[in-house]
Amino acid sequence: MAATMQVEVVSAESHVLSGDVRELYARSVEGEIGILPGHQPAVIALDIGPVKLVMEDGSREFVAVHRGVLYVDKGSKVIVLADLAELGSAVDVKRAEARKADLERRLAEDDDPSLRSSLRKQDLRLQVARMRES
Amino acid sequence: MAGSGQIRLLKRRIKSVQSTQKITRAMEMIAASRIVKAQRRVRAARPYAEQIHDVIKGLAVSNEVRQHPLLLQREVRQVAVVVNTSDRGLAGAYNANVLKVAERTIREEEALGRTTDLYVIGRKGAGYFSYRGRRALRVWEGISDTPTMDAASGIAETLMERYASQEIDRVWLVYTDFRSSLTQQPVRMELLPVKPDEFGGGEAISPEFLFEPSQPELLEMLIPRYVEAKVFHGLLESSASEHASRQRAMKSATDNAKEVAASLSRVMNQARQDQITTEIMEIVGGAEALASDN
Repeated sequence: MAATMQVEVVSAESHVLSGDVRELYARSVEGEIGILPGHQPAVIALDIGPVKLVMEDGSREFVAVHRGVLYVDKGSKVIVLADLAELGSAVDVKRAEARKADLERRLAEDDDPSLRSSLRKQDLRLQVARMRES
Repeated sequence: MAGSGQIRLLKRRIKSVQSTQKITRAMEMIAASRIVKAQRRVRAARPYAEQIHDVIKGLAVSNEVRQHPLLLQREVRQVAVVVNTSDRGLAGAYNANVLKVAERTIREEEALGRTTDLYVIGRKGAGYFSYRGRRALRVWEGISDTPTMDAASGIAETLMERYASQEIDRVWLVYTDFRSSLTQQPVRMELLPVKPDEFGGGEAISPEFLFEPSQPELLEMLIPRYVEAKVFHGLLESSASEHASRQRAMKSATDNAKEVAASLSRVMNQARQDQITTEIMEIVGGAEALASDN
């Protein structure tokens, strides 16, 4: 069995990451999932959540994924098709925090579902950025 | 002196032509850098469109995709035409070309006895149609310069909703295809209904596949994404074309300004020379008159 799988993370606007990966963890609409090389072929809908990748050399990558699909091919090829995806290392923590504070303030004034979902996005971005640091 | 007045006038004109030239050159250079950026975005968006197409293809073979509301074909009575124009002018024939294709599409559909709904992206198209007394159902402004996926989903959602509720039976997307920085071709694409044969020819997915949630639910989720990706593609192509058109228009404007300035300064030099000659003649004439007086 192959020890790694080829992973591509693609968002609607850009190609985010590709590489050989040992383990992949994500949050599907039905719960947390982990994918190892040789996984059964699958198509899984993803929720808003971090995707954690253990790369071939043991380093970790975190990607903030806002909904999308995880596609596991027969030949140990994994494609993450995200509506929106951002590498943890690409998140500007200061700006994300400022945005979050701003959104929280606006949410306190007016409880708008679109504001709440934006807040969730910022939370996830921060979470992913911090996971990388720890 | 009449001569110096003319010279002053010419000088002023040359200055104004030269400052126009500076502006057009700056616009040309901005547009040129934007083309590169826009092209990069077109390329960056391609993998997603291809992959989502592949996934749907895999799912579609074994499934009753044909039953999906966005794939259902029915008799066409109401057609929506989405025209992708720019917000700003000074882009040569860019808007005129794409509007021509849109007009032709509308005419063709109406000749077949169908009614058309108009959707416009970009301020220029909105102005064009409102001047001609055709009301657009919806105008989107401020997205054609640097389109985002968010904007594309917004547009796609509006259309998909109306298609699914059977208010419209076909959607044309009219945009400009960026072939190269020299050629941009206005084209139209049938956005909805999604053709089932677009997903044809795929290998049937083997039964060992795991689906979470179920296969129909996944398709339900993916097909709208696919339509959104198509709209996004159209927006990106159009924006690259817009910048390319603007670059070309501004380049020829700069060249023209250079020519006008050169011909004006030639006239000015001649006028100045005339003036000097006249002055010398006067001096010589005056001196001669004085000499003969003595």
